[in-house]
Amino acid sequence: MAELEFDARDRRTRLGMKGPRAAEWLVAQGLGVPMAPNSWARSTGASGSGAVLVARLGQSEFFLEDAPAGTTLRAIAPALAAHPPGVYPVLREDAVFELSGAGVHDVLAQVCNVNFAELALDSHPVIMTLMIGVAVLAVPESMHEGPCAERRYRFWCDPTFGPFLCETLAVVVAECGGAGHDSQHR
Amino acid sequence: MMYRLDAHPAEWIDRSRAVSFQFEGTQYQGFEGDTISSALAAAGVPYQGRSFKYHRPRSILSFANHDSNTLFQVDGVPNVRGDVTLLRAGMHVSAVNTFGGLVRDRARILDRFARFLPVGFYYKAFHSKRWFPRWERMFRAMTGLGTVSLDAGRSTTPKRYGFCDVLVIGGGPSGLSAALEAAAAGARVGLVEEAFRLGGTGPWGERGEDSVQSLAQAAHDSPGITLFPATVAAGYYSDHWLALAEPHRMTKMRAKAVVFATGVIEQPAVFRNNDLPGVLLASGAWRLLRRYRVAPGRTVVMVAANLEAYSVCLELHDQGVRIAAIVDFRSAPEEGEAAAACASCGIPVMRGSAPYEAIAGADGAVAALAIAPLDASGRIDPRRRQRIGCDAVLMSVGWAAATQLFVQAGGTTRFSEELQQFVPKDLPPGIFVAGRMNGVHDFGSRLADGKRAGSQAAAHAGFGSPSTAIVARAVRCPSHRFPIVDHPRGKNFVDYDEDLQVKDLENAAQEGFDSSELLKRYSTVGMGPSQGKHSNMNALRVLARVRGLSVEQLGLTTSRPMYHPVPMKLLAGRAFSIERRTPVDAQHRAHGAVWMPAGNWRRPEYYAVTGETRAQSIEAEVQAVRGRLGLIDVGTLGKIEIYGPQAGTFLDRVYAGKYSDMKAGTTRYGLMLDESGVIVDDGVIARLAAELFYFTTTTGGSATVFRELLRLNALWGLDCSLVNVTGHRAAFNFAGPLCRDVLQSLTDLDLQDAAFPYLGVREGLVTGVQARLLRVGFVGELGYEIHIPAGAAAAVWQALHDAGLPRGLRPFGVEAQRVLRLEKGHFIVGQDTDGLTDPFEANARWAVSMQKPFFIGQRSLKILQARGPRQKLVGIEILDPARLPRECQLVIDGDRIAGRITSVVRSRTLQRSIGLAMVAPQLADAGGEIRIRTDHGEMLAARIAATPFYDPQNLRQRAGAGHGRT
Repeated sequence: MAELEFDARDRRTRLGMKGPRAAEWLVAQGLGVPMAPNSWARSTGASGSGAVLVARLGQSEFFLEDAPAGTTLRAIAPALAAHPPGVYPVLREDAVFELSGAGVHDVLAQVCNVNFAELALDSHPVIMTLMIGVAVLAVPESMHEGPCAERRYRFWCDPTFGPFLCETLAVVVAECGGAGHDSQHR
Repeated sequence: MMYRLDAHPAEWIDRSRAVSFQFEGTQYQGFEGDTISSALAAAGVPYQGRSFKYHRPRSILSFANHDSNTLFQVDGVPNVRGDVTLLRAGMHVSAVNTFGGLVRDRARILDRFARFLPVGFYYKAFHSKRWFPRWERMFRAMTGLGTVSLDAGRSTTPKRYGFCDVLVIGGGPSGLSAALEAAAAGARVGLVEEAFRLGGTGPWGERGEDSVQSLAQAAHDSPGITLFPATVAAGYYSDHWLALAEPHRMTKMRAKAVVFATGVIEQPAVFRNNDLPGVLLASGAWRLLRRYRVAPGRTVVMVAANLEAYSVCLELHDQGVRIAAIVDFRSAPEEGEAAAACASCGIPVMRGSAPYEAIAGADGAVAALAIAPLDASGRIDPRRRQRIGCDAVLMSVGWAAATQLFVQAGGTTRFSEELQQFVPKDLPPGIFVAGRMNGVHDFGSRLADGKRAGSQAAAHAGFGSPSTAIVARAVRCPSHRFPIVDHPRGKNFVDYDEDLQVKDLENAAQEGFDSSELLKRYSTVGMGPSQGKHSNMNALRVLARVRGLSVEQLGLTTSRPMYHPVPMKLLAGRAFSIERRTPVDAQHRAHGAVWMPAGNWRRPEYYAVTGETRAQSIEAEVQAVRGRLGLIDVGTLGKIEIYGPQAGTFLDRVYAGKYSDMKAGTTRYGLMLDESGVIVDDGVIARLAAELFYFTTTTGGSATVFRELLRLNALWGLDCSLVNVTGHRAAFNFAGPLCRDVLQSLTDLDLQDAAFPYLGVREGLVTGVQARLLRVGFVGELGYEIHIPAGAAAAVWQALHDAGLPRGLRPFGVEAQRVLRLEKGHFIVGQDTDGLTDPFEANARWAVSMQKPFFIGQRSLKILQARGPRQKLVGIEILDPARLPRECQLVIDGDRIAGRITSVVRSRTLQRSIGLAMVAPQLADAGGEIRIRTDHGEMLAARIAATPFYDPQNLRQRAGAGHGRT
């Protein structure tokens, strides 16, 4: 069974940035930066208030999401807004949802042509793809240790596609015997 | 007549579960596991359908979905394939293509007029302009298969993506062998089989039986093999991507290697009346017998040219069916155990003979077969014909390799004279072939060939080492070179789907349609539901005889997806329809929004108010903006930021105007052109800082424009970076004479003209939210576009609405905005401009800076400027206040079309009907009159008028309240 979690009340702080000096600037803020394009890392940052997800999108663009109740990104946001040289802010107001459960790959097979089941998670891949025609960013994680561990996928997308995507996914999840928790549209 | 035999352990039906259904209004019973055709056959129904053109009675031919004799309308669903569709309790089944039912089909009289319906007759009928309408109506009424029910409920089916290392297509002996070998090497294997169960079609002999059973069981038990029974590989696309049509969904399978073990398709013998009910292919009879325990008849004549014929005869004989004769095209005796066994059973064999014609009984089904000897040249001698009474004629004269998918995959074939079939010649990387389609017919060799192919496919996918075995193709030819018998009275059918006889193909060739492709298109051979599966090979033979060429020289027609017809619902899937919603969608709903699609967005067309009609609501919204204030969600606009030292340079190149010289805090209109100088988009460009611009695009153009800008940025390598914030920022237009007063109470910015003039841009707080404000004039009133992060949109909208309500605010929608902008004469790209409109024609010369070193479209504009406009966009006023033309109605000058209306509206503000029109330049002078042709042919007069119609000096949007209307 798959489970869909879509929470409009998710208020984690998110930042985006790009530019020739974006990586350098992040390091200067005390955040660890993944080296490989299209990969992610977790970093506690200078405030140590919880691990920040740092996703490298291509070569020079980054997407960051703070831990629930984390304050690291809120602390560095003003510096980003001041337009440091070679660092360009990217406004991130994404819709966010998660898919997990034993049937998660059955659901994903119906909505996306990426072979998620075969992804090796060791390299912390970040996937940028289309899901039902909507551009999404995906980060897969194992829910526990072991080769057959179930996975959880966290997705982000343009917020104007969020309602359509989650309503449609909820139908697919339900047909696969799972449950969707769409708190925004209850 | 067909009938049901006693139970057998290997049967596919469950006799403990009877299934009742209706066919043509009569109740019948079958068993669970029956198909529609097998149940009807077992019930002794003499015929199950009518042919396409001549409405001849038809029954089972291939029993493999390789013909359209048994297409049915089932519970409102058209063209259900009876051979392969499981029976369901309560089904209401009827034949397609009949008028008045299967038995009393009124169109059956067409069979008598066949000579007036020769090949290509409709081309010749359509040649007459006078008669064309009549022919068209007649053909539309009479042709087509099945009836689409417009009341049918929506049926969606899922689609999914699949992945495997090796995909094997074909679950017969060689396919099973290939799949097991690949799985044993460690590959993840998908095995696709059209039938409900694995094993393919025999007979295989006793040893072969056991092998097939154990292979099938092993495949079921193998954890490395995923089975796709009752599934058709409908098409091969690039890079080993195949569409698998399963019963209730489509799987889009990506493989690393593909094994085609698709087998062969039995071909009919061609003789007069070879389409009578009771004349069927021997393989079809075998499937009916083995799987559904249905005998083809009580007295059978076998038309033979290979060993399989004798094996089938033996099986029938063992079930108590009388074999009246085996009529073998070949003179030389058949060797092998089956032939010897037939002889020992006393089955008469007439060698060197051929069927001359099948003879119908009173019920229209076959009652006898006239046969005659063949002379040395292979021609039949009808003077020596004899008649054999029977109620079934089976045909086992040869096979055509099922190479269609292989060819779609890029494989090439050659015709083997020795085997009388096309065989694979060149294989693309990752493609492998096995079994009978590879020309390997011996049972043991098929297993070995499958094993070889499976090993090689697995190795290609990175598992194990490839087999180096070489499996020889068959030595004995299983197909007759020319199983076609001429008859002076014709009705010797080559293509059963299209009712094509030998003479039709000969006539087509003689009329000049003498290549395989031309013959197909002129005669329609191979264009029916079975796509030539049972007809292409014999058609090629006929053409070869006419042309004096070999089959190899003629070649097959191009094979394209779909291999079998696929229900549209599988292709449509869930019919996802992407819809974008702005962050204030809930607020719109609460205000009573009536939705309209705008590209892939949903936007409020207007807001419904109790007691108002649609027109009244729209008008009220317009008046609110003109007299007080209005609020519209413009969040669908594309919104892009560009950063960097060369951001201005980039914009100078992309847009027609000049932007690099803008001061921070100002905005400027942007017109985007393509290389030919045609307007493709427009927007507002705001300079926020020395190295930061923020600009908008049209709603419909945002994705395309951003993609193009990224491409150009990569191409030019300028020091700048683009960020698309379309969905991440919301935007509202707060407009009207009172908007400044209300907005001032919500923001820390000084909104007075001195601090924030018209066409300025400022950043500040609105209700505590960081916002960008642009003073724009699209609707022609004092107005502020407020751009904020999407997450804060709902709160800001509510605050604006609540603050404005006491001052008479109304939210306004797309329709009101269209009226307002039209009163200002503002064009909309794509509505008032078309694929040829340049800035000169659109009165937008002022937005172009020709003196820049370069911008996209500049060179073309120089040429266009020299040439002069071919059309001009002008304002118009309709002279008759009571009449209103519609958009796209034509402007007529004399007897020529001289333009069209692009936008038109009745303006209460202006007390007249106004619009924009694209007209020929000579009609574009102010004050001139034009004539507009309405839908009913009436002519309306309009006058060319200057724009803007409303507030021509633009005073209201520059300085806001206090200025009277014009």
